[in-house]
Amino acid sequence: MSVTDKRAPGVRISDLSVVYRTQAGELPAVRGVDLELVPGTITGVVGESGSGKSTLALSLLNAVQPPGRISSGSVEIDGLGDVVSLTGDNLRKARGRHVGYVFQAAQNSLNPLKTVGKQLLDLGRSHDVDDLPGLVKEARSLLDRMGMDGARVLDSHQHELSGGMRQRVGIMLALVLNAHIVVLDEPTTALDMITQATILRIIREVHEERGLTTLVITHDLGVVAEIADRLAVMYGGRLVEQGPTREVLGAPKHPYTRGLLQAIPRLVGDIDEARALPGRPPTLGTIPPDGCVFRERCAVRMDVCETGEPPVLTIGPRIVACHAEAGEREPESEPAEEPEKETVTTGPVRGEEQA
Amino acid sequence: MTLIGVPGRTGGIAVVRRLAGHLARGLVMILVVTTISFLIIRNIPGDPMAAKYEKLVEQGMSPEAAQQAVNVLYGFMPTGSMWEQYLDYMKGLARLDLGQSLTVPGTGVSTVLMSAAKWTLIPVLAGTLLSFVVGIILGVYAAIKRQGKLGDLLAISGSLLHGVPQYVLALLLGAIFTTLIPILPAGGTADIMFEPGLNAGYIGSLVQHATLPVVTYALASYGGWILAMKSSVVTVLGDDFILAAELRGMKRSIIFRYIARNAILPLFTILALSLGLLFGGAIFIERIFNYPGLGLMLIDSITGRDYALMGGAFLLITVAIIIANIAADLLYTVIDPRVRSGGEAA
Repeated sequence: MSVTDKRAPGVRISDLSVVYRTQAGELPAVRGVDLELVPGTITGVVGESGSGKSTLALSLLNAVQPPGRISSGSVEIDGLGDVVSLTGDNLRKARGRHVGYVFQAAQNSLNPLKTVGKQLLDLGRSHDVDDLPGLVKEARSLLDRMGMDGARVLDSHQHELSGGMRQRVGIMLALVLNAHIVVLDEPTTALDMITQATILRIIREVHEERGLTTLVITHDLGVVAEIADRLAVMYGGRLVEQGPTREVLGAPKHPYTRGLLQAIPRLVGDIDEARALPGRPPTLGTIPPDGCVFRERCAVRMDVCETGEPPVLTIGPRIVACHAEAGEREPESEPAEEPEKETVTTGPVRGEEQA
Repeated sequence: MTLIGVPGRTGGIAVVRRLAGHLARGLVMILVVTTISFLIIRNIPGDPMAAKYEKLVEQGMSPEAAQQAVNVLYGFMPTGSMWEQYLDYMKGLARLDLGQSLTVPGTGVSTVLMSAAKWTLIPVLAGTLLSFVVGIILGVYAAIKRQGKLGDLLAISGSLLHGVPQYVLALLLGAIFTTLIPILPAGGTADIMFEPGLNAGYIGSLVQHATLPVVTYALASYGGWILAMKSSVVTVLGDDFILAAELRGMKRSIIFRYIARNAILPLFTILALSLGLLFGGAIFIERIFNYPGLGLMLIDSITGRDYALMGGAFLLITVAIIIANIAADLLYTVIDPRVRSGGEAA
């Protein structure tokens, strides 16, 4: 269990679709998502409630809860293979050992009847850890590292810990088996501002110290701006835009990303400068089956948006799925005016020709 | 960040303080219940001794002789105002003297209660524990398999048995096993041909006679357990920490234990209370199988206007329930860490 293991694994999600069985048939919560988690980076996925971001996070562990199921696509993890095809004990052991999952802070992710330490031992036994004292030592040092009294926390029950402490215990349990991929689902929701900042700092530091590949799911652009290297924006089960955090936030290309940024009130200046996006996000039942999922609320909507799947444009390190963006580029795309490499794919966002 | 208490040290004091509070409240409740039951019982129309007296006079006895006969028969005669009787009664209670039984003349109420209690406690306790264990186990399955046929079947069996009144069940089982397939005795506690004592014949006969009451009682209470356990397990299954444990790759057996322990917690309250209610006896079942337990005794004491015995029975039920409550509360301090430390934090 060396902390200096720097071989962070990569994750490639391709053409991932997740459907939920409802009375109206199987409805897609995540559709045709392609996303690569680059080894050693923090990727942030932002989206509104119901955009499918938590479902996407659960897919990373092949843990979509019934009545949902992964209907197509793959999640390739270095050193593990396609998680979607894992079953039984192999899948169980991958959870926790390869991929650590940290729950939302507001959720009670610990058994209320057992101390943290006893649950740690349960975790160790589940993963056939022979050196249980070593595991406890590792857990204590992780907790100490995160600014807590490790020995004392291990002796505590959930109800004796504050929200910020519980969150750090969650991070400890995700890392203690030496997982190098960590998924954090809304890690700072329901925490106060100071604790939020502390947790984000801890995530960033631990990420670097242990050489992790990290995925952060959040509805808070501020969180992403703070810690993520790359940013992916989700809407109605689709990834509408992704790229390096600074570039995406500095010059958003998708009208939804632009709308989100415009909706943020500034600390200085006129409060009216912040403009909310009109309309509501779609729910599982109201996601349009054809065309662009965002068109109902889009300021640059065109006729083609009604019927055509938005083309996926790869512009250097950035990827955007939008008809308007494609229309702007297409007429003058051929001249070498654009220094960046650009490919236009039409149709549903499919796993491209890469491996 | 000072939320962490030291459970060992503060826990002990907290338990003692809780216990003291419970006992004080229990005493007040006993006082109130005995007063109310005294008032109600004394105000029920009808007087067993007056009835006996009138009967003797009707039979041609002189009033004096009749009065004397009644006095001899019952050993004493309540005199004085209601208030004086009440004070006498309470004084007696303070000395743990429950008075004299009228239906079983010449016997103390406590003796009558004791002899009836053994015929209730053992069968009803056995029935309760049997149904608890079976109901809990099947309740877990009913919850886990709630999407399938087996789960439906179990839940329906629970609702059905929960809905059928005890006496219907008792009559049905009685009809089946004593008349249609006569393999079990219809009533009583043991065959008179056996000498009571520790001999195989007597004990075998005891068991045989207790079977129908126990099974009836177990079936009648099974429905409640399976339904309560099922809903409790379904609630726990939806809790975040179960999904969290799954996402951490915990073994199924460990997760199962997490579910079971959390789900069974609320049922201990019901169990403790039903153990307290035990002392009320199973009136219908005891009546139908002519089993001389507390329920049957209570009916006899009411029809016989046996004030002292009625009061004693009510007192016994009250005390049992209060003690069961205290026991349940103390049990929680042992099995639920959130109760142990006072539960201030979320």
